[in-house]
Amino acid sequence: MSRPPREDELVERARRGDGAAFGALVRDQEEIAFRTAYLITRNAADAEDAAQTALVKAFYALPRFRRSAPLRPWLLAIVANEARNRLRAGGRREALALRAGHELPSARGGVPGSELPSGGAAPSPEGRVLAAEARAELLAALESLGEEDRLVLSCRYLLDLTEAETAETLSLRRGTVKSRTSRALERLRAELGER
Amino acid sequence: MSELELRLADLRAEIDFPPAPQLADAVERTISSAPRRRRSLRPLAVALAVVLVATLGVLALSPGARSAFLELFRLRGASVARVERLPQVEPIERIELLGVRVPLATARKQAGFELVDLGEPDQVYLRGDGLVTLVYGSIERPRLLLSQVPGAVWDGFVKKVGGLGSSIEEIDVDGERGLYVSGERHFVMYLDGAGRIADDRAYLAGTTLLWNRGELLLRLEADVELAEALELARAVR
Repeated sequence: MSRPPREDELVERARRGDGAAFGALVRDQEEIAFRTAYLITRNAADAEDAAQTALVKAFYALPRFRRSAPLRPWLLAIVANEARNRLRAGGRREALALRAGHELPSARGGVPGSELPSGGAAPSPEGRVLAAEARAELLAALESLGEEDRLVLSCRYLLDLTEAETAETLSLRRGTVKSRTSRALERLRAELGER
Repeated sequence: MSELELRLADLRAEIDFPPAPQLADAVERTISSAPRRRRSLRPLAVALAVVLVATLGVLALSPGARSAFLELFRLRGASVARVERLPQVEPIERIELLGVRVPLATARKQAGFELVDLGEPDQVYLRGDGLVTLVYGSIERPRLLLSQVPGAVWDGFVKKVGGLGSSIEEIDVDGERGLYVSGERHFVMYLDGAGRIADDRAYLAGTTLLWNRGELLLRLEADVELAEALELARAVR
């Protein structure tokens, strides 16, 4: 049985103009690409348009992609740029919302806002309500931050990007991401009245 | 990770993102439907296939439009900036100080970093210290210079050039720090890729915008006001 092609092999094929190879690369990244665009544009249609346009641009820009570099942050940087362009063009912006009837979050014992208390016991109905309220409060506080703060926190925690990936995606230096994250967390704490 | 960071990470699974569309299929369709000539136009960095198809039609009908298109900056929302509309700027330094003229492909290969541009330049200069300068217009009658080198805006810059008759304004370009320098002849001081203070001079008698883009220090020289300089800076890709 033949092994699936590695990312670098697909990149090489795509660089030579193989659209199917690029499609295979994009398929792995389409959700995070769309979410990145959505977190910037806050409009699903704009995000789809931006992500799609950016990925087409990325295909044609592949000769400029450094072979040794990771593909994902490079793609996301192009997506983020395109999304910022759409943002400036204006349009309706949607607020982030929590899922209705969401599943339990991952267990992080004893963390305020988590539904699972330390020890892993099933939460009481009251506990569920409190946890849902805590999440809603956290999201509202995040949404109230300035765009720079909101974006850096969104990349780091809502998209689960590393510091280096966040830096490339937002076209910032890594040190800037570190300091901006720290400041944004402080502002978020203040919004939550947790100082 | 702090408690607040853990709560943010937990929030990840709870956000009601719109369902992601099947982008890969759409991208593949767009790529496969673009004309084969597209690949020879890569250096133009105009990658959007739909735009490209339309443009090829224009170029075929009107050869004179080609140079105009080559100088077309990227579309940024509703605004389009054209370098050909910029005024010519008087060079105030010997252009040899920008290094040797090389083909764009050579500069890309030798730069050691990914070059950014404002569309295909008319000329490219590469200097021994790694500085790459894209010239728009001609070297005798330049309209805009875009220089790039690994480095960063230096905190001491403002102090250093003060008193030389220049007006300096701190600006923000897409969240990154920058400086807009106008007025008399001035030096450009920056931190090079190794963190050392380096200096260079302005080559044109216009204004200079210096700004950070990731690990790069970008320098734009043209005869433009701050607002236009910022628009140009944001159009650099």
